[in-house]
Amino acid sequence: MTSLARFSRDFSSRHGTGAASFVVAAVLFWIVFLILLPQLAMLDVSFRHNLPRPEVGGPRDVHTLDNYRYFLFGNSGGAALNALDIGVLTKTLVAAVLVTVLDILLCYPIAFILAHSASGAGARLMVIGLIVPFWINDILRAFAFRILFGATGVINGVGLSLGLWDQPIDFIRADVALYAGLAYTYVLLMVFSIYNAVETLDRNQIEAARDMGASWWRVHWRIVLPVAKPGIASGATMVFMLTAGALAAPQILGGPSNLWFTQLIYQWFNDAGDWARGSAYATILLVVCLAFVFLMMRIFRVSIGAIGR
Amino acid sequence: MNRGVGGGLFAFSYTLLFFLFLFGPLIIMVITAFNSSAFPRVVPWECFTTDWFGLLIRNERLMTGLWTSLAIGIAVVAIAVPFGLAGALALADIGPRLRAGLYAVLITPILIPGVVLGISTIVFWSFVGRKLGAGYDTVFYNGLFLTLLGQVAFIASYAMLILSARLQRFDPTLTEAALDLGATPGQAFRKILLPFLKPALGSAAFITFLASFENYNTTVFTILSGNTFTTALASKVRHGTDPSLSALAVIIIAVTLIGAMVQEAHHRRRDLLRGGRPERSRLYANPLTRLLTHPAAILLILVGCTGAIIWQASHHDAQACRADILSEKQRVQERLLQEQQQRMQQRQTQTPAAPTAPSNNPSPFGGAFNPGSLAPK
Amino acid sequence: MTKDVVLDHVSIRFGGYTAVENAHLTIRGGEFFSFLGPSGCGKTTLLRCISGFVQPSAGRVLIGGEDMRNVGPNKRPTALIFQNLALFPLLTVAENIAFPLEVRRVGRKQRRKRADELLEMIALPGTGDKKVHELSGGQKQRVAIARALAAEPDILLLDEPLSALDLKLRQHMRTELRAIQQRVGLTFIYITHDQGEALTMSDQVAVMNAGVIEQIDNPETIYNRPRTPFVASFVGESNAIHGVVLSQTGRLATLDTPLGPLTGQAAGGRTYLPKERCTLFVRPEQLFIADTPPEVNTIKAKRVNEEFEGSIRTLYLQAGGEALRLYHMNAAVSAALASGDGAVTVSFKPEQATILPDDPALSG
Ligand SMILES: Nc1ncnc2c1ncn2[C@@H]1O[C@H](COP(=O)(O)OP(=O)(O)OP(=O)(O)O)[C@@H](O)[C@H]1O
Ligand SMILES: [Mg+2]
Repeated sequence: MTSLARFSRDFSSRHGTGAASFVVAAVLFWIVFLILLPQLAMLDVSFRHNLPRPEVGGPRDVHTLDNYRYFLFGNSGGAALNALDIGVLTKTLVAAVLVTVLDILLCYPIAFILAHSASGAGARLMVIGLIVPFWINDILRAFAFRILFGATGVINGVGLSLGLWDQPIDFIRADVALYAGLAYTYVLLMVFSIYNAVETLDRNQIEAARDMGASWWRVHWRIVLPVAKPGIASGATMVFMLTAGALAAPQILGGPSNLWFTQLIYQWFNDAGDWARGSAYATILLVVCLAFVFLMMRIFRVSIGAIGR
Repeated sequence: MNRGVGGGLFAFSYTLLFFLFLFGPLIIMVITAFNSSAFPRVVPWECFTTDWFGLLIRNERLMTGLWTSLAIGIAVVAIAVPFGLAGALALADIGPRLRAGLYAVLITPILIPGVVLGISTIVFWSFVGRKLGAGYDTVFYNGLFLTLLGQVAFIASYAMLILSARLQRFDPTLTEAALDLGATPGQAFRKILLPFLKPALGSAAFITFLASFENYNTTVFTILSGNTFTTALASKVRHGTDPSLSALAVIIIAVTLIGAMVQEAHHRRRDLLRGGRPERSRLYANPLTRLLTHPAAILLILVGCTGAIIWQASHHDAQACRADILSEKQRVQERLLQEQQQRMQQRQTQTPAAPTAPSNNPSPFGGAFNPGSLAPK
Repeated sequence: MTKDVVLDHVSIRFGGYTAVENAHLTIRGGEFFSFLGPSGCGKTTLLRCISGFVQPSAGRVLIGGEDMRNVGPNKRPTALIFQNLALFPLLTVAENIAFPLEVRRVGRKQRRKRADELLEMIALPGTGDKKVHELSGGQKQRVAIARALAAEPDILLLDEPLSALDLKLRQHMRTELRAIQQRVGLTFIYITHDQGEALTMSDQVAVMNAGVIEQIDNPETIYNRPRTPFVASFVGESNAIHGVVLSQTGRLATLDTPLGPLTGQAAGGRTYLPKERCTLFVRPEQLFIADTPPEVNTIKAKRVNEEFEGSIRTLYLQAGGEALRLYHMNAAVSAALASGDGAVTVSFKPEQATILPDDPALSG
């Protein structure tokens, strides 16, 4: 609090009392009322029973671990693991990692080309070409992939007419459409994250390395990748979190039997009207994802300051 | 760079494939918008039609959602940009030890899954409402209000990132110079810092509006029983689909392309003028081409062309073609029916003939792709 | 109406680091006062303290007799010209100059008129509508001065304003600055690490070292009568010869040095104790080649090298294990120089050399 007081005093002598009180008030409101308290409220509700409204605050409204117990053991009462829900969470995480890796592989070359090979009009055209597809709503993008991958979609049409396969392949049930759609959705984010980092690389370094006879993959591995690392980390973190937390794409592109974890949350919260259990599942998603991201940051030695740059 | 590090043929073909991946789905979607087939597809091509656009505009749920989205978007811009500005200013002036912590706090809303933000927003404000003894008709149970708060929580972080990037290039001695010359701190803020941030404020407003308009994950919770454009769109896609969505994509893509071209013209012109010798350029020397390359002129031309195409297309009548297709279909269907009946008679099964229409695609999509559910909702 | 600036035992600390230590001085109204010192010695910090961006950790700043403790930078009668000029890039030249008037809500017409007058004064008429980035370095410099003058300060503070300019322009701007100061009659407080600037322009010079003000005097005294070893070696070139005191008669003291006994003036009328360790400073231009054996201060030296620099010739000498430098007016090449084995006899006048104690605490 003393540092807050010092900050506002210094700040107001620089930018004026009006600006200072605005900054302090806005940042405090944002952090406290929009970030902190809602998360705490959700955490609190996740430890409660799902009660009809008149009973809320009554004697039966006590804290409980029921919702988390349900996630772990289902209705079995501790006898067996809730394989279904745990499986969905695992699948979501694995798929999110998969999509993230796919995006890194897909975007690294483009980011490098954009930063170091393209120039002038070509580069500008590339940037426009990257941005235009992302003006279109997530929902419509998912819709496009449904058209593409549907049983009578273009890919099946082409495949069948070329005789590559003779039965329509159900890409949607196989989740191919979902992964492709998710990877597609976050391409822009990844390209620009990596681009921002790679762009700072001095071209002479690459040329010097080439002159010393390094092969192209060695140049990338030893010189470009280290520079790109914070960008990749930043992009990967955001793509992973967005993918793991995606709702629209799985709803539209997911097969009928394959659920995304967010869909479970949605079902508990909106379809079943069980706010407590929905909150518990949301908390689980948040904690597991953040833990995973921080673990990865530890392993790859990047700091949170790199994110969003 | 053409020595194998990232130039040459590989780079070219990779770039080509990459952009094919980006644009392929969109191009196909655009084509389906003009095919009269009730299921969005390219083949088999039935008739050229613009009816899907009409269907789109007559969809009331989408259109009311559109107005809701616009209102929310404007409100989000009005709150998220100042919040982002406050965050960026605080980050710039806070001591180095607190800075890392504050940055981590202000950046987390971007990392928190939207679903979680949506849920936590409703849970918290309904808790506040309950504590205050407010009824269901109060602001705490109002979808618009909740959506606004839920969206601002993370969209303000986007604004903060954009403004921070610009603020880092601000020379703080400029503020000191203004103070030294007699400006009050408030005057220095308004006359020196804010004008410097103006371009970034513009892009922040733009991005925040877009983010608000497109948001689904948070909004689908916070809007409660209401609808924004995006949630209406999503429920339409989830419960059955027709090419009017493709028509929507066509409209968005057209607007985007026009915007991109005008923007590009604006950039070129600015570079030309800044280069200091506009009269050297051939385009600028000729008064006609100079006028034609002005961004406003380009905008006018593009809008004009689009208008002409729309007018032309709206007079196109696909009725005849469609009738042909319909009768063709009916013929095929009758033939199939007859064949089936014949087969059944031949087989002499005990079960009575099921009145099922022959389905040519076994649908795994929970009925979403059944012709019956294609009617606009 | 002139205002004195008084620094009353001012110290400035950043955390544990002391940037300025006990600065105590008075700058008279209308003076051209320079702070001279090496990079990082706290000059900018001191200036920022006078203009109000830094609060003294101890002591007070008084301007015109008024304590400035709770007076913000925008309320002080000072105008600071920043090390990087800090011209507003989004405003035109005229808007920059008129900014102090704008914040005082002077009308648009009047602002423009005043800006044009000032542009006239700095010899840049007609550039009012240009953007700042369209000006050359020297022009920006002058615009910054005009902008500061538009604020009608009593005291103009300049933080190394010429350091970014090339040599020719720097010399030109020196005279120009001095001329402007005399025309407008303001107090100029000028910061530089360039002794040439400080010596040519100033009425008074304060020499700073590591946060401490070592000497305040007029340029000639600073140059000829340095009070501390730092001033002697930082201002101008000096040969430093270490030794111990043999005797002192009046103001002249004699040291026993590896080069033999040498006599010089005891700095600041000090009286040295016999055997006290001291250093004798003599400037290269005050050493001369003795064609006939001198009465005092005979140094037998060996020529090691020489450099021709146009008007002067620098001789690098070796004597008693010490390296010496001698500036020789080029016109006459003496017989001693021509001799083959390189042996020369050099000397200096006792009153032109300064003897300073190595440990000032000992003698008084
Ligand atoms: N805000 C600050 N916080 C901590 N230390 C500072 C601060 N400002 C200056 N210093 C330190 O005080 C010392 C003096 O800095 P100052 O800027 O006054 O030097 P200067 O004499 O102007 O040097 P130069 O000639 O290079 O401009 C430096 O060591 C610097 O690191
Ligand atoms: Mg300095």
